[in-house]
Amino acid sequence: MDPERILGAIVESSDDAIIAKDLDGTILAWNASAERMYGYAAAEAIGRNVGFIIPSDRPDELKDITRRIAAGERVQHFETTRVAKDGRVVDVSLTVSPIKDASGTVIGASTVARDITVSNSRIQQLRDSEERLRSVVEAAVDGIVVIDARGTIEAFNPGAERLFGYTAAEVHGTNVHILMPEPYHSEHDGYMRRYIETGEQKIIGIGREVTARRKDGTTFPIHLSVGEMTLNGDRKFTGIIHDLTSRVAMEEQLREQAALVRLGEMAAVIAHEVKNPLAAVRGAIQVIGTRLGAGSREASVVTDIIARIDTLNLLVRDLLLFARPPQPHPIPIDVLGVLGLTVNLLRADDSHGNVAVTVEGEAPHILADAELLKIVFLNLLINSAQAMKGQGEISVHVSRDGADCVVVVTDTGPGIPPEVRGRLFTPFVTTKSRGTGLGLSTVKRLIEAHHGSIRVDSPEGGGARITVRLPLA
Amino acid sequence: MEMSPPAVKKSPSPRVLVVDDEALIRWSLSESLSEAGYAVIEAGDGASALAQLSNGHVFDAIVLDYRLPDSNDLRLLERIRALQPAAAVVMMTAYGTPEMTSGALKLGAYRVVPKPFDVHDMVDVVGQARESARGF
Repeated sequence: MDPERILGAIVESSDDAIIAKDLDGTILAWNASAERMYGYAAAEAIGRNVGFIIPSDRPDELKDITRRIAAGERVQHFETTRVAKDGRVVDVSLTVSPIKDASGTVIGASTVARDITVSNSRIQQLRDSEERLRSVVEAAVDGIVVIDARGTIEAFNPGAERLFGYTAAEVHGTNVHILMPEPYHSEHDGYMRRYIETGEQKIIGIGREVTARRKDGTTFPIHLSVGEMTLNGDRKFTGIIHDLTSRVAMEEQLREQAALVRLGEMAAVIAHEVKNPLAAVRGAIQVIGTRLGAGSREASVVTDIIARIDTLNLLVRDLLLFARPPQPHPIPIDVLGVLGLTVNLLRADDSHGNVAVTVEGEAPHILADAELLKIVFLNLLINSAQAMKGQGEISVHVSRDGADCVVVVTDTGPGIPPEVRGRLFTPFVTTKSRGTGLGLSTVKRLIEAHHGSIRVDSPEGGGARITVRLPLA
Repeated sequence: MEMSPPAVKKSPSPRVLVVDDEALIRWSLSESLSEAGYAVIEAGDGASALAQLSNGHVFDAIVLDYRLPDSNDLRLLERIRALQPAAAVVMMTAYGTPEMTSGALKLGAYRVVPKPFDVHDMVDVVGQARESARGF
């Protein structure tokens, strides 16, 4: 094959505009890309002086280049502009080389022009794109953390700052394992080493639910997805951290509710089925009792049997109250009045004889079911009285806080043991040797049926403090 | 031995129908009401209760369980009231709800007594129900 034809084909097929001209600037050759770039056909361009594509504000450029070419120099990657036939300005990068004859004399120049107009707009595009990506990363609710192959944190977005409580400046350059509780904290370096060595993916590209650790040491559930990338030859890992706290809490709540519903159904069935035989036994033993000699040992045993049956019935009643709390029938009521009645009920029980109860404060009427509130307050008072073993003081304070009526019950008892604090409202959990563990669970359900809330604290100074909030009428 | 005061025994004993599928409840109510001077007839389900009420006997009071093998709603009460409107009805139940109670009272029951109960209290309630039915 003719080498010249090969060369010619290459020139014709090049994406760059290739022009040959003599030292006067007269165009000798004009390839297809030059036609496309400048808009002139080869027939229009060949034979003319190249000056027609040079902008008028660059009168000396051609002279300078020609001088350097004549001296045998090469001009490389010279960025300038050219004007196309339709007046369009084209950004070009020129490489101009001398053309020599057989004796080595420079007789002309070849110019290879690369259109960099596109590249400039591409730079702007990249800047825009980077800006967009940056704003996405900055605005993301999820935490985004970039680490290198040794686990060192290189980037930490505002979402991560919010989730973990660290500022980006605090964690830059530290090992990512500070964001993990044990055992991951100690094992993470090993995980990374193993992945780098074996390529075995445990989390990368998969994502999983794990536990993260905040700056203050508390932990929270997250979904972590990790992507891997290579940046200038270095391996980097990007972790996206989605906080699952509210989802986990909601799931927990739903599970609890479902369990309560099932428990409620079961308890209701049992309670009702127990009541009928209780009625049978109680009635029969009572009739038998009336036939025993008054004052006889047997008669007093029957009296005791009836008392036990009544205790059993109270337990069943509590179970039903918890399992199937009645719908409140709210009317405007005076909380202090209800509290007064409740305190009288407590005083009527001799076992709380040495408990002093004070009620003070004031609040507007609330919309509530007085009978159910009595159950709530009586349960709280009895709890306190029993915690103090029948000896001490209970003070009840009523006040208004915004749209709520707040009732605070404090006692001088031993407070709440740390081991039960998290399970106070769990049914059937009790600290008493006898008791169903339904009191506070029922109280909570009844308060929630009134759209209120309850919290229990065990202050430093001892005793327990129960805060009930009920919406005002 | 404690007992409610016996009814004055001039006129024939007032008649009470006790309806419950639990034999021990029928027995204890029957014993207590008899001691109080009532003539007690027992029924173990709704059908036999209705049979008793339909065979010409007039009852002064009826003590009726809410849930029976053949009855689990207030229709039985409604039929009883229609058959013997003059009889005082006391209902008893282990399954009481506020809706059921108010429904029973609307249909003319004197009271709904939750199970378990004190048999002597029940005898008192039956007495009050009769007084109420006679318009004092």
